[in-house]
Amino acid sequence: MSNSYYEFFCPVKVIAGKAALEHIPYELGGLAAKRPMIVTDKGVRAAGLLDPVIAACEESGLEIVSIYDDVPPDSSTTVVRDIAAIYRKEKCDSIIAIGGGSAIDTGKAVNILVSEGGDDVAKYTGAGVLKRPLKPFLVVPTTAGTGSEVTSIAVITDEKKGVKLPFTSSYLLPNAAVIDPRMTLTLPPHITAATAMDAMTHAVESFTCMAKNPLSDAYAAAAIKKVSHSLLQVMDNPKDSDGRLELAQASTMAGIAFSNSMVGLVHSLGHATGAICHLPHGLCMSLYLPYVLEYNLETIRGPLGELLLYLEGPEIYAATPASRRAEASISALRKLRDALYKRCQLPRTLKETGKVTEEQLDAIAEMALDDGSIMFNPKEVTLKDARAVLQRAWA
Amino acid sequence: MLAKRIQPMASQAKRLYVELMFQVMGRALQAVSEVDGEVQKEAQALPEGFLFEMMVMPEGAKLIVEHIGGGRFHYHGDSAPRAVDVSIQFKHLTHAFLVLSFQEKTSIAFAHDRMLVDGDVSYAVRMTRVLNRLESFILPKIIAKRAVKEYPENLHLPEKLISAAQIYLKVATHFIQTARA
Ligand SMILES: [Fe+2]
Repeated sequence: MSNSYYEFFCPVKVIAGKAALEHIPYELGGLAAKRPMIVTDKGVRAAGLLDPVIAACEESGLEIVSIYDDVPPDSSTTVVRDIAAIYRKEKCDSIIAIGGGSAIDTGKAVNILVSEGGDDVAKYTGAGVLKRPLKPFLVVPTTAGTGSEVTSIAVITDEKKGVKLPFTSSYLLPNAAVIDPRMTLTLPPHITAATAMDAMTHAVESFTCMAKNPLSDAYAAAAIKKVSHSLLQVMDNPKDSDGRLELAQASTMAGIAFSNSMVGLVHSLGHATGAICHLPHGLCMSLYLPYVLEYNLETIRGPLGELLLYLEGPEIYAATPASRRAEASISALRKLRDALYKRCQLPRTLKETGKVTEEQLDAIAEMALDDGSIMFNPKEVTLKDARAVLQRAWA
Repeated sequence: MLAKRIQPMASQAKRLYVELMFQVMGRALQAVSEVDGEVQKEAQALPEGFLFEMMVMPEGAKLIVEHIGGGRFHYHGDSAPRAVDVSIQFKHLTHAFLVLSFQEKTSIAFAHDRMLVDGDVSYAVRMTRVLNRLESFILPKIIAKRAVKEYPENLHLPEKLISAAQIYLKVATHFIQTARA
């Protein structure tokens, strides 16, 4: 008998497509929620993305009781405490998080406080602390990348201690993820590219790392196909709402995949680079992806080769001998990165970012080695290995 | 407790084996941290007084070690002097047995959701590296290859320590054979 074993879990209702926002009142009604609070950031408000949500609710007679639009890019325990206080004062009974990773994580953390009580969310850090469902919670992603709408984790900075607190519990998952192409239509090109490459990386790592399983593989493969097919179309025609929806769905699907099978070294390096050099997460993902696949190549030849079908389509897949498919998959990803560089200068090397110095590579390697995702990388990584990958990614 | 009546011996043997292996590993961790530079280097990044636990859910066997500074570990047996900092918890005795009898690599066991990490993940990652290093020390190469993702190239240990650890191991392998039967 084979030793294989896996778990797969995703209880989030996905509401996706044209006029999806208009389903929010019905969904909240089904959860017996009447006084929702919106948690979002200034960028979302400035882009006018709250208007269709508010209109959709008002037309159904659902009043948005409070709007907090000041979530910073790196959310903190203080912000979470302040939002929870407003929620209580306004007697809200549910949360709608609208935004990217930070707004969504903040929504999750606020939900812990308003459901469990208290002012200090740090008390609930760690795994398995929450024992019961929280308040009704909807998520409306405005970037197509993080997949936070389907992950059971939130990361919030504790300003006093200067550390990032992880919260993990399946109760953090929203009741529904609302994916409406209107919400990503105005995303600027470099953010569209970087976030889509984050989704691509989630799918590729999920498909090639140690916890891969048949269910997450199905989501990952479908997500890769969608990103490969639609990303450049959207880059050339940003108002292509069908293409936008494809990317948004790909992001959610890749999120479902990686939350069940985890990610590997691309993320370990990316997290470390983000922390040390303050580069956006998606950019780091796009940058490291081919170099890490090259490092892992001999351990992941089989699955990586299979991905060629989703990256390049059936003709090229069939025309490529099986023994060359893994390399061809890496080339396809490099080609995509070149195309993105041409369109929005998304960096392909650390040097191209202009924000990293060669002296920082040791520190990045060191930090990457302590990142949780490194445990799921299919090939063992020593400090020397990590440093060598960084050197190749340098220029 | 129907299962207990059907398979009393197998389950009892697994339990004893896991308890024994925890003791072997606890002692070996302490011993290796006294001589091996690699382990010391890893351990030095841990706070002094850092308590690490491996346990079997719900209330099964435990292994507790403390980083007493300078990269050295002290084995505390199965009781912690205070709340532990990082705990790796096997969900079931069978899962612990699979890992500790080297039928499932530690990294695979993580990937298979066989165990949970409670506490700072970066410390847990570090301790996993220490345990991998340890496994490659106390096991003959052929079994160690099964237990860790990659067998390290630079293993140099005093003969005495290796032979001492391998005595434990002989007891252990004997146990595997009995328990598997
Ligand atoms: Fe990511």
